[in-house]
Amino acid sequence: MSKQHINIDDIPIESLELVDVRADDAEKITRPSLSFWKDVWMRFRKNKLALSGVVLLILLLFMAIFGPMMTPYNYYENNLEAVNEAPSAEHWFGTDNLGRDLFTRVWEGARISLFIGFSAAVIDLFIGVIWGGIAGFRGGRLDEIMMRAADILWAVPYLLLVILLMVVLEPGLTTMIIAMTITGWINMARIVRGQVLQLKNQEFVLASQTLGAKTNRIMNKHLIPNTMGPILITMTLTIPNAIFTEAFLSYLGLGVPAPLASWGTMASEGLPAMRYFPWRLFFPATFISLTIFAFNVIGDGLRDALDPKLRK
Amino acid sequence: MDKVLEVKDLEVSFFTHAGEVKAVRGVNFEVRKGETLAIVGESGSGKSVTTQSIMKLIPMPPGKFVGGSILFEGQDLVHKSDREMESIRGKEIGMIFQDPMTSLNPTMKVGRQIVEGLMKHEKISQSDAKKRAIELLDKVGIPMPDKRANQYPHEFSGGMRQRAMIAIALATKPKLLIADEPTTALDVTIQAQILELMNELQEEFGTSIIFITHDLGVVANVADRVAVMYAGQIIETGTVDEIFYNPKHPYTWGLLSSMPDLTNEEEELTAIPGSPPDLVNPPKGDAFALRSAYAMKIDFEYEPPMFQVSDTHFAKTWLLHRDAPKVEPPPIVQKRIQYFREKKQGKGEPNGSR
Amino acid sequence: MAADREKIVQVKNLSKHFNTGRGNVVKAVDSVSFDIYKGETFGLVGESGSGKSTTGRTIIRLYEASGGEVIFNGENVHGKKNTKEMLKFNRKMQMIFQDPYASLNPRMTVADIIAEGIDIHKLAKNKSERMEKVYELLVTVGLNREHANRYPHEFSGGQRQRIGIARALAVDPEFIIADEPISALDVSIQAQVVNLMRKLQKEKGLTYLFIAHDLSMVKYISDRIGVMYNGRLVELAESDELYRNPMHPYTQSLLTAIPRPDPDYERDRKRTHYDPKKSNPHDEEVEFREVTPGHWVAFTEEQYNRFVQRKDQ
Repeated sequence: MSKQHINIDDIPIESLELVDVRADDAEKITRPSLSFWKDVWMRFRKNKLALSGVVLLILLLFMAIFGPMMTPYNYYENNLEAVNEAPSAEHWFGTDNLGRDLFTRVWEGARISLFIGFSAAVIDLFIGVIWGGIAGFRGGRLDEIMMRAADILWAVPYLLLVILLMVVLEPGLTTMIIAMTITGWINMARIVRGQVLQLKNQEFVLASQTLGAKTNRIMNKHLIPNTMGPILITMTLTIPNAIFTEAFLSYLGLGVPAPLASWGTMASEGLPAMRYFPWRLFFPATFISLTIFAFNVIGDGLRDALDPKLRK
Repeated sequence: MDKVLEVKDLEVSFFTHAGEVKAVRGVNFEVRKGETLAIVGESGSGKSVTTQSIMKLIPMPPGKFVGGSILFEGQDLVHKSDREMESIRGKEIGMIFQDPMTSLNPTMKVGRQIVEGLMKHEKISQSDAKKRAIELLDKVGIPMPDKRANQYPHEFSGGMRQRAMIAIALATKPKLLIADEPTTALDVTIQAQILELMNELQEEFGTSIIFITHDLGVVANVADRVAVMYAGQIIETGTVDEIFYNPKHPYTWGLLSSMPDLTNEEEELTAIPGSPPDLVNPPKGDAFALRSAYAMKIDFEYEPPMFQVSDTHFAKTWLLHRDAPKVEPPPIVQKRIQYFREKKQGKGEPNGSR
Repeated sequence: MAADREKIVQVKNLSKHFNTGRGNVVKAVDSVSFDIYKGETFGLVGESGSGKSTTGRTIIRLYEASGGEVIFNGENVHGKKNTKEMLKFNRKMQMIFQDPYASLNPRMTVADIIAEGIDIHKLAKNKSERMEKVYELLVTVGLNREHANRYPHEFSGGQRQRIGIARALAVDPEFIIADEPISALDVSIQAQVVNLMRKLQKEKGLTYLFIAHDLSMVKYISDRIGVMYNGRLVELAESDELYRNPMHPYTQSLLTAIPRPDPDYERDRKRTHYDPKKSNPHDEEVEFREVTPGHWVAFTEEQYNRFVQRKDQ
């Protein structure tokens, strides 16, 4: 600190005159204005691992969009003259048992896997926030009924539910997404409900009520914005979960139908040939892992950045 | 030598992403044997950071000792290792907090918690420790101590928990007890009981106490000496009578006149305008000048030194400079000073301020 | 003098019971009655669990009453109401909260917080009028225009509390319930808020219900004070009268328990202890009655007779 010392006897007498102080000056805020999300971003930015997750995710998204355009091949055309070829200058990731270019198929698959992941997350978000928000805010009997209903659905073995669904519906992208979200929203609903229960008795919500705010306003202006943190964290963890579940269902033969490729179906096709043509398993498996890794570190980083205990 | 604790030029900072928060900016004080020193200040004045530094309870990072020393019985605590501090904390220096629930273990019976403390710091058998624990609970005014010792903290009311906390803190007969706003969370009638208890116990054990509070009423009740903190510095210190009846610093004036006195009929409260400064960029010179009605030009240039008023009374304000203009304190303070003069001349009635 | 004054709020036998499950009922407020006159400050004091805050929240209908009624400007607050009537009521009666940290939404700017009432009641024709009102309110509570776009966490406790006051003032209320508005603030800041409230009362002719546990500040700001204990009102009188002549043993114990910033007084303070079992050993029926003009006390028959005897002597 800059302590300036002065000899008491050296003080010029005129500097001991009283001055008028404007009270306003004491109300000045010297720190720059920071919104909550700016503050979160400042903390998130310091987390190198989470930041590398973001970079990785951007790269993956970029390749999912442009990857298939980088080769002269497409994902469905068979080429029986180039079956099970190892990675080469011609086929960067090799080919599969029908001679399809794996590089093209991996990025085509990325589109489908990421699409499933994101749509599962968005649908979970939509149903979960509404369901949990209403249950938490209304409380009482309605809350009891809504949450018990969710519990019952949660209690049905997941695999059984999915297999039943597959029997009723055609296998395909839509069915896959329905299968992801049929119980996925429950987690989101529980988190939102818990937050809303806590928040609805906070004084700023009461203040809004005494001003005459209706339920809609309280929900949209007060409750949901203050639940955004946990919602975001849950979403970033839902996406990798959906991608993983998709791979798992594909392995059981419940994946997207051929010739569509997802990372899950590619990995399950590559598995029997693992010994002789390992690249057929290696590439889809690697990208599943990388994606899940990216989302997980982002989720962790967000959780740390949003932690109110560190906030000052 | 009767100084139990001596804090010299203590500087503590927190390094956050907003910059260096200079929470304690050169604090000096001492605690003598058997006395109660009250540290008064608003939130953010650095009073809690100061005492947590003595216990070395500041998380580091973000906290850091920037300078100064803390001499406890002649040994500098700043350079003690965590291991060495463990044998001082709880044995030589006890502490009680505002919220006893944060320092009581919720899963352990209250009696057991006292026994553990005793056995950790003293060579004592389990059964003797247990006897002592029940004696202590009795001493702090917990009825049916042998039954209460077998209960968990959540079975105690707020006041009883604070009593249990005091029993734990005093179990090892510490030389110094740090009480950080111990009555702030309690109702006034319970607060009065706890204050009475602490005064009684101090007489019996001869413990020195540092009592941190923002409540001037509580200070008047417990303190022998008072240190007033503002913006990370002690700005006035003196005996309890000097601070309450002959204050010299405009901030102390502000505090005293911003409180309604139950006895005053129609006095207008004089509020201190504005808010305490941001300690990331502490103002140049006198940190209080911006809010003071008695600010002088020099306040914005140089930090005032501690001027001596009497053997025990010091204040950090340029108003005490011999060439400074003579100013009139607020009316409530003038009344207090008047009372002080009469009292000194032996004319004062014990209830003259009524 | 009280009889001819206009009553803005009449609380009649108000009760609020909370069901805590398994058939347990907590009588947070138990048949409380008092009137508040237009333009006065009515103080309500009590310790934690006395039901003072619940009383305030039930009056403004944050809680539905379990019994009794609240008459505001001649209308029953708890009666059936349509949206329009409810909105009208919301404008006339407002509230200031205790916790300056929890009472402002951390995700909203100060402008949006203050303008919430303006938005709900559509009090501004356009954006610029809305902002003008916000600036005006900021200045009214001693803050400046530049603060409008900042977020609550950038302010100190006292500044936040003033933002909360500005929010309540935005809809031009007549009656404000202040629920422990200063107990979370530092001493030097408390006076700022209290002085601001008094200034606003003078300028706008506001009526306050001031709820607090700190009797010294309540005495300073209030014209009349009600003392609550265990969900019931035990004493009600003008502030000076209550302070000079407390009659209920609980009020006496409360008054003698407050530490004062006066070391000489503290050195020989004598505290009286209140034990409901001692002052009313047979758990007799108590009645809230006016023992001297304007001074109400909850006495048992026996206590009252003793009081009358002493008075006659």
